[in-house]
Amino acid sequence: MDSVAVKQKPVVSAPRAKRSRFYYVGRILTYAILILGAIVFIFPFFWMISSSLMTLGETITRALMPKVPQWVNYVDAWNQAKFSKYFLNSVLITLGTLVGLLITSILAGYAFGRIDFKGKNILFGLFLATMMIPESVTLIPNYLLIRGNIFPIPGGTWLNKYWSLTVPFIANAFSIFLLRQFFAQIPKELWDAARMDGADHLRFLIQVVLPISKAPIMTVLLFGFTGSWNAFQWPLLVTTNDTWRPIMVGLWSFVNEAGPQTHLLMAGAVISLIPILIIYFLTQKQFTQGIATTGLKG
Amino acid sequence: MTEATITVKPKKSGTTLHKLKTREQLTGYLFILPALIVILVFGLFPILYSFYMSLFNWRVTKGAFIGDKNYLLIFGSWTNLLITLAGVALIIGAFWIWSNAFKTLNKGQMIAKIIAAAVMIVGGVIFVTGWGQMINAGNPTFLKSLIVTLYYAIGTVPAEVILGMILAFLLYQDIVGKDIFRMIYFLPYVTPSVTSAVVFQIIFSLRETSIANMIVGWFGISPQKWRFEPKPLLNLLGLNISGFLAGPSLALFSIMIFGIWSFVGYNTVIFLAGLGNIPKETYEAAEIDGATKSQMFRNITMPLLSPTTFYLVLIGFIGTFKAFNHIYVLRTPSAGDSVITTSLLIFDNFYKANQYGIATAQAIVLFLVILGLTLAQNKLMGERVFYG
Repeated sequence: MDSVAVKQKPVVSAPRAKRSRFYYVGRILTYAILILGAIVFIFPFFWMISSSLMTLGETITRALMPKVPQWVNYVDAWNQAKFSKYFLNSVLITLGTLVGLLITSILAGYAFGRIDFKGKNILFGLFLATMMIPESVTLIPNYLLIRGNIFPIPGGTWLNKYWSLTVPFIANAFSIFLLRQFFAQIPKELWDAARMDGADHLRFLIQVVLPISKAPIMTVLLFGFTGSWNAFQWPLLVTTNDTWRPIMVGLWSFVNEAGPQTHLLMAGAVISLIPILIIYFLTQKQFTQGIATTGLKG
Repeated sequence: MTEATITVKPKKSGTTLHKLKTREQLTGYLFILPALIVILVFGLFPILYSFYMSLFNWRVTKGAFIGDKNYLLIFGSWTNLLITLAGVALIIGAFWIWSNAFKTLNKGQMIAKIIAAAVMIVGGVIFVTGWGQMINAGNPTFLKSLIVTLYYAIGTVPAEVILGMILAFLLYQDIVGKDIFRMIYFLPYVTPSVTSAVVFQIIFSLRETSIANMIVGWFGISPQKWRFEPKPLLNLLGLNISGFLAGPSLALFSIMIFGIWSFVGYNTVIFLAGLGNIPKETYEAAEIDGATKSQMFRNITMPLLSPTTFYLVLIGFIGTFKAFNHIYVLRTPSAGDSVITTSLLIFDNFYKANQYGIATAQAIVLFLVILGLTLAQNKLMGERVFYG
């Protein structure tokens, strides 16, 4: 699976002798387009950060840069919009979701990849089918479900409770699929050897498979993290107060309250983005490789 | 593989092959059980329950059983739907005739094209008739939302794929700072869509000093209302077209730009991986045979990249039909229903209007549309994909 990694070696490099003026024009054009693209992609981020440091007046006159960076905006946004609360909520929701997601998808991925049992293919197909289903279809029944309207659930209702924001997301077909692809490729000899030593599946999974599966597990974690941190539609529905409201819904309610206070709004936007940015910059290679792998095998 | 290992281990007396196999099965079920419960309860059961709800007059609490009434509210009558679907079927049939029929005949292609064109016209007329009847007798708001969604898909997916492909080609060379470029391109994709949409809210604001107005100002265009403009883009450009051909409103167009901005990087990364999978030897062999660069591109790169392209188009279309967050954040009341895609309409019917029965019926229809589109794309494009 690692071979799918984005390894870019120049494929068609012109022989040195043939390099004409044409070649250099092409090179300049290439860089021009690439740089223009980079500017278009990065500009909103630049502008978000720069606006977040402006005074209200500067945001109205549309300065490109603040004269004096107003770091106090971050303090204001953090306190005024309860971002501290939303932020902590999101951290806890994400952590809980990830723990559950790891357990369910490692076990299921292993079973689908390495254990023979009846109905395996049908079940796997059923799992995969859930990837195509629009959220609009599942949203309404799930809403009734977590309110305990369809059948009784522990605690009566999960509205505004931690469980409604985590439990529905502790398993998804995508993660299972990703891990299954990797686990299925592990040489059978390893299992045979472990078997000789008297290991069962669980021990083999923990002692042999997991240590060599860091890359795909990391990918599952990264996708789980972004999915959980970026969640909006569902939390909007199931949080009617601040108790467990996560960051994206918090940002949205701030949008509606802050109105024209662009500078505070942008400070809030930056705050909501920071964890994602940190994780992305730290694991950038892993991120793009993971996504490329899933894309090709999908 | 279990049998092989078992024969090597005779010391465990009493464990028969059968018992081991049962144990193996049991382990399998136990391992998938946690995931199975969650996916069954929150992923599969809701589909059935949605369908169940759609058969009732369901407003917050369950009302009377009304059978297909919620669906009739959408289509007017089943006949209308059948006529429309027949039109779609004929159009698909025309495509099939165009590419497959009469291949064995002399001049077969010519005949096929003429027949295909005829079938296409008939199919188109039937489709438009059925659609018109549905709009008259059914729910025009819902049907319009389907068109808005279609605009959004057609306006974003091809652009994302083409731009992604171009950037990937350019990056797939000896480029200084390749990793940095890739990192920047991918950044919008990992950014939470609510966060970036909040930023674009202000970029596309109707103030004269907004970034969007500043940029069009460079080209001598007067300030626009962007997210707040329900008029079709083409009308603003001076073309006097109405109806379906008038295309998306400027408000929807603003949202499309956001969509393209956030997804191009994803396509670039996937294309880069796809390019990396093409064996270098293929190019070397072609070069020895004297192929020019453009020949290599047409006969090697494009065919070998077609599965990637297909995957991205498919994922893109499904994604636009599911899209919610950024449209929800970027919409404005003054843009009216010109930016309300089906996902949003369903959410509003449910969340704001409390029309659970109607919303679930619409959700089921949306699901079937996505399913149909996926199958059609598989059929039409899938045949052209070269899997090596």
